[in-house]
Amino acid sequence: MNPLPRTIVRYALLVVTAAILQRAVFAELRIDGAVPDALLVLAVAAGLASGTERGAVVGFFSGLALDLMVTTPFGLGAVSYLVAGAMAGAIETALVRSARWLTMTIGALCAVVGVGVFALLGTLLDQAGMLGRHLLVVMAVVGVSTLALVLPFVRACRWADKDTDHLRPALR
Amino acid sequence: MALTTRRSGRTRFTILLLVLTAVTLLTLDGRGFGPIDSARSAILSALSPVGDAGAAVFRPISDAWSSAFDQGDLREENERLREENERLQGEVAAGELSQLQLQQLLENEGITFTGDLPRVHARVVAGSVGNFGQTLDLDKGASSGIAEGMAVVTGKGLVGRVVQVSDDRCTVEMITSGNYQIGFNVVGSSAVGVARGTGSPTVLQGSRIDVTQKVEVGSIVVTGGTRASRFPPDLPIGTIATVTTDEAARETTVEITLFARTTDLTYADVVIYTPPPPGS
Repeated sequence: MNPLPRTIVRYALLVVTAAILQRAVFAELRIDGAVPDALLVLAVAAGLASGTERGAVVGFFSGLALDLMVTTPFGLGAVSYLVAGAMAGAIETALVRSARWLTMTIGALCAVVGVGVFALLGTLLDQAGMLGRHLLVVMAVVGVSTLALVLPFVRACRWADKDTDHLRPALR
Repeated sequence: MALTTRRSGRTRFTILLLVLTAVTLLTLDGRGFGPIDSARSAILSALSPVGDAGAAVFRPISDAWSSAFDQGDLREENERLREENERLQGEVAAGELSQLQLQQLLENEGITFTGDLPRVHARVVAGSVGNFGQTLDLDKGASSGIAEGMAVVTGKGLVGRVVQVSDDRCTVEMITSGNYQIGFNVVGSSAVGVARGTGSPTVLQGSRIDVTQKVEVGSIVVTGGTRASRFPPDLPIGTIATVTTDEAARETTVEITLFARTTDLTYADVVIYTPPPPGS
């Protein structure tokens, strides 16, 4: 099997696993109306592990998976998570030196930006109640939970990417 | 260098392509593209066993999680509830009387509260998967006669409408979400208007009421049931809490306090109602 199709299959598995985790586990862990977002963490982790393009593509499909499970406009999650994944990849690629704490911080910041883009675009698309206090609560919960979850997700993305990973330093 | 430039050009092209795809999907969804609804229904159906299993396993953790975050407030709340319990015992009798009066009032006005319309009693099995959107999932679906757009009520009044249906599940969007409007009548007057959620779990904003119509605080508001509406007429919504008249705009706006609770629901009823076809 070629490395690329194998990578695609592995990432597809990760997206499905994250969607199931979101539905079965994280949706139950609600704090003041906000929940951790496994699909957004996956998008950001893909960017951190494999660069801008991979972050954008995985973010797009993670967002689509979320769009299939909620009632907000279809495509809103795709475009927001794409931005978060691409941004994480761009920042990580631009860094001369990386460290765990830096990866976690960048992951959390990009996830918060993803939530912000989702709320902003949602409001532009006439979705009510996306801006305001609830948005701040969601940003805080998603930011903190991403801080805690991003490293295992980055490891999972490196596993998904391991067959194409040897090209990464030259291609990023 | 050339490789990096080529790579960054390809990255930009990929991102642009994905953004355009997302925009296309948003446009298709906005125009009510059928396959998207079908895909969502299929996912709702496919993930429901996973959701149920997850809820069964993680609900105790979720409860512990919630209580861990609320522990500081719990002791204080316990004290307050003890005091309130005693006071409420005295108010129960008065409450029952008020309920009776409300029912009598609705009957006097010819409001039968779903009257002969069949209802499907369902259990709330899940809340929203994501962080935005006020929705909940019920454990009944198309196999019980439920269809998209049907009204969802509790014993006190309207709480939402069905937005997604699979065979054995449906998703309800609460009336407080603000993503759709409800035509209403004010009982005891000929005033009509349009209500919309504000994001608050207890209040709707009513507008487009003709300024010449007299509207009073405390009046009961019910669904209008116009031809364009998917809701049957005369479902109780709430009472008018505030009235604001804008003479320049020739419009009265009102705040409506809901009869029904829209949070922490355990059960809800779907009203099986199909509006008459246009022109009939």
